[in-house]
Amino acid sequence: MIPLIGLIVGILLGLFLEPTIPLALQPYLPIAIVAAMDALFGAFRAYLDGNFTDRVFVVSFISNVLIAAAIVYVGDQIGVGSQLSTGVVVVLGIRIFTNAAAIRRALFHA
Amino acid sequence: MDLLNQIIRQPVDPDYALVKARGDGPTRRGIAFAVVAIVIGAMFAVAAVQTNRSAPVLAGERTELISRIKAAETEQDRLRERATALADEIATLRAGALGDDDTASALQSQINALDPIVGNVAVKGPGLLVVVDDAPTGADQRQDRVLDMDLQVLVNGLWQAGSEAIAINGHRLSTLTAIRGAGDAITVDYRSLTRPYRVEAIGDPRTLHARYVESSGGIAWNELAQNRRMRYEISSMEEMTLEADPGMVLRYAKRAKS
Repeated sequence: MIPLIGLIVGILLGLFLEPTIPLALQPYLPIAIVAAMDALFGAFRAYLDGNFTDRVFVVSFISNVLIAAAIVYVGDQIGVGSQLSTGVVVVLGIRIFTNAAAIRRALFHA
Repeated sequence: MDLLNQIIRQPVDPDYALVKARGDGPTRRGIAFAVVAIVIGAMFAVAAVQTNRSAPVLAGERTELISRIKAAETEQDRLRERATALADEIATLRAGALGDDDTASALQSQINALDPIVGNVAVKGPGLLVVVDDAPTGADQRQDRVLDMDLQVLVNGLWQAGSEAIAINGHRLSTLTAIRGAGDAITVDYRSLTRPYRVEAIGDPRTLHARYVESSGGIAWNELAQNRRMRYEISSMEEMTLEADPGMVLRYAKRAKS
């Protein structure tokens, strides 16, 4: 229940407080979101597999987001920022799809 | 492929299995977990809100630019009208200043003869009206649209056929007129045209049509009309009036001492 409630509270907070992201951080937000989605799906699959640990989830989420942002940052500095973001999105996207497929199999046996 | 295979084979963080195997058991750190969940939710919301917020700004900038273009074009129209009025005034004043002697009337007749040719005054007479437009289907394909080059070819054909004065969508062509593409539009005299394009040419009504069809422009346009299915209509006109080109100004060339 904690994750669902947390998600909803977070969405409501974001909608009503409308915090402004500093301009320098804006390019990293979409990548951070994709990394967060990857962490979420991975966590849900681990939960279904029965070996979910919230410590691993917290650590993997933070490190995923930071590493994704760092890759994009380095890419921006050397002039291939958009290509590297594409790479990050592709890799994380594959993982998200694979995890989603596993979750679907586990939930619906289909 | 190895990389992709590995990603597909190991989509879940292997730490989950490691920690499980170490037997730490489910630790309960609800606070950190909840905070991360809140952060993720907030990130979604903030990103969505920001994207939606910047969209109207972009649209607003676009409308603003369009309205500025419109205003500039209206201003240009106004200035052109003024230029035409001033040109009329110049003609009147010149006629007054030249007086009545022989040189004056010779000069005046020279001016009268040259003005219509260079496009400095409005002219009327019989001629051809050519209406062209983009092909009806697949107008998104660049080749099916009328390009600046196509209009140039058409106009050159009309000159070749013996036209004495030509106007496109009411813009009189002179030796200083450019027909060129700017973005998606074709400009004549730096004014963008709207479709369809009406090309009017004054010339000998008996030969203009036939000679135009045989000219390189006529041949090229026949092909465009047949292969690209562009609209292409030629009609003879008993009488039409072409306005003067208000842009007839020499900025650098001066009359040589005679």
